[in-house]
Amino acid sequence: MSRNVLKIEHMTMQFGGVVAVHDLSMEINEGEIVALIGPNGAGKTTAFNCVTSVYEPTNGRVSFMGKPIAQNSPNKKMRKIYAGTMPDAFTDKTVRMSPDQVTKLGIARTFQNIRLFGGMTVLENVMTAMHLRRKSNMFTATLHLNMKEEKAMRQKAMDLLETVGLKELQDEMATSLPYGKQRLLEIARALATEPKLLLLDEPAAGMNPQETDELSAFIKRIKDQFNLTVFVIEHHMNLIMEISDRIYVVDFGKLIAEGTPAEIQENPAVIAAYLGGEDE
Amino acid sequence: MKTKKKFNPAMLWAALVIVLVYVAVFITEQLLPASSMLFTVLKKGATYALVAVSMNLLNGFTGLFSLGQAGFMLIGAYTYAIFTIPVADRMNVYQYYNGGLVQFAMPVVPALIMAGLAAALFAFLIGLPVLRLKSDYLAIATLGFAEIIRAIFQWNKLGALTNGSNILREFPTFNDFNIRNAEGEVTLYLSTLVPFLIAGVCIALIVMLINSTFGRSLRAIKDDEIAAEAMGINLFHHKQMSFCISSFFAGIGGAMLAMYQSTIQAKAFTSAMTYEILLIVVIGGIGSVTGSCISSFLFVACSEWWLRFLDQKQMIGNFEVPLLRNGFRLVVFSIIIMIVVLFFRQGIMGTKELPDLFKRKKKSQQEVKA
Repeated sequence: MSRNVLKIEHMTMQFGGVVAVHDLSMEINEGEIVALIGPNGAGKTTAFNCVTSVYEPTNGRVSFMGKPIAQNSPNKKMRKIYAGTMPDAFTDKTVRMSPDQVTKLGIARTFQNIRLFGGMTVLENVMTAMHLRRKSNMFTATLHLNMKEEKAMRQKAMDLLETVGLKELQDEMATSLPYGKQRLLEIARALATEPKLLLLDEPAAGMNPQETDELSAFIKRIKDQFNLTVFVIEHHMNLIMEISDRIYVVDFGKLIAEGTPAEIQENPAVIAAYLGGEDE
Repeated sequence: MKTKKKFNPAMLWAALVIVLVYVAVFITEQLLPASSMLFTVLKKGATYALVAVSMNLLNGFTGLFSLGQAGFMLIGAYTYAIFTIPVADRMNVYQYYNGGLVQFAMPVVPALIMAGLAAALFAFLIGLPVLRLKSDYLAIATLGFAEIIRAIFQWNKLGALTNGSNILREFPTFNDFNIRNAEGEVTLYLSTLVPFLIAGVCIALIVMLINSTFGRSLRAIKDDEIAAEAMGINLFHHKQMSFCISSFFAGIGGAMLAMYQSTIQAKAFTSAMTYEILLIVVIGGIGSVTGSCISSFLFVACSEWWLRFLDQKQMIGNFEVPLLRNGFRLVVFSIIIMIVVLFFRQGIMGTKELPDLFKRKKKSQQEVKA
């Protein structure tokens, strides 16, 4: 039986009076590629940010490999204006982690609007992401007593660049790469943190159809090669339908459908959300 | 593509240049009279270079805009002075405080390290609340800290330690590094080489840090905090580390300034001093250690030597040059700064380092050949 990697229970994220994510529950099992889709502003990236602890969810629980990484319930001021569901279900404890702790546990992500380290070369970008698995401390690193580790880091970074096909560009500045290659570099950088779960936020945005085709093969390939579970947000339906094992659909922060690609394509609620169907 | 980079000629050239500078300093010191203005510039320049590089580590490489440098220099200078004044002279120096609290004297090198550690300790404590602030707020908070420290060190109640608002003196200075014979004549001048060595070792350590995996993380934080955090870099720990290390070396720089001046007084460590250092960093290029070093010597040479004539009446034949009077130097200085900021925002070096210069030269030569 496949193990549960990520479990989101009744997650609600409310900013002031705006409910960006409303009672979202989902499960991702080991080795799956799961997609989260929905129209613009549906709360997909907000859901990602809650999982990676950039935001603290207002209510609900997020667990990774069975261990809660975020849990909260509305209190004080938020309690009065809380517009979500089940305000009393998660009051037993509060769990709050910082994004770097979540990454250390094994969740890596890419960003919708590319966030590479612009002042660094391609190789350095990848090596920076290996910093969290270092064994050296400040003194040994400063005095360059960790040459073995540094060398291993460099080698591993090169291997990763080779995997994503950027080896030839290792000494270029990261921001000088074309858009599609920057996206690949972001994935390579995320892989360098040795994740179990990889979150991809619109990996195909800004890519041409040919690059998009290559990307779907690429995502499948790295999933097998690095033993990953992949959670992806995307707008390109072709890509989603091709790679996903299961799809969750959100609209206005609420989950409106879940199922296999074939089921989602037939689902009237999804078609309504995307094409603007009749009022409910 | 070459993957093995065992031998890097640019690095070798850079090392050669540095060695040549040291040799040149050593030789000129033996030849020229010790009173030459050149040595004043070199000594103060070496001191400022270290402080500027330490500030660059914070502002240029970590992206933390801190203006507390003068405060940390003050702590370093006082720590050094307090621990090195010879016991015999303490009664004299601390004449209003019964010879002061500390009744022992340390050798110079441990005292320098103590100076750095004291500054780093203060940085650690200040950093706990302050490093959660962003950009401008951090600058204001650190500036405020420096001003407070300056006031506290002049506080009468701490006089047994800091000598209140009176000067501290009699501690070993750069001139004490000269080797003298039994008659007290100098046989070997080292008073300029030693500050170069101290600053050199410290700057080398900073460069090594910048080139390590920790340095990469600091640059990542500067480039994009959100991405750095998402890559598992603990923002607070790394900022705190950078802040403490920067302050450690600013403290040593302060101790060197004390050695250079031979007397110190807290009221000299004003925010104007921080601005001078900030200027050096900006002129040299934010994010370039080499730039900070070069520009600190240029800056000190201009302010102490080359532009001095602007402060005095100058006659060309019978014509008295207008505008030249006391303080005009600062006006010219401000204009230079404005020009740099407006037209040469990259500074002297941009983000390039010494070895990069040789790399580029080589490349352009190759292009010429081709």
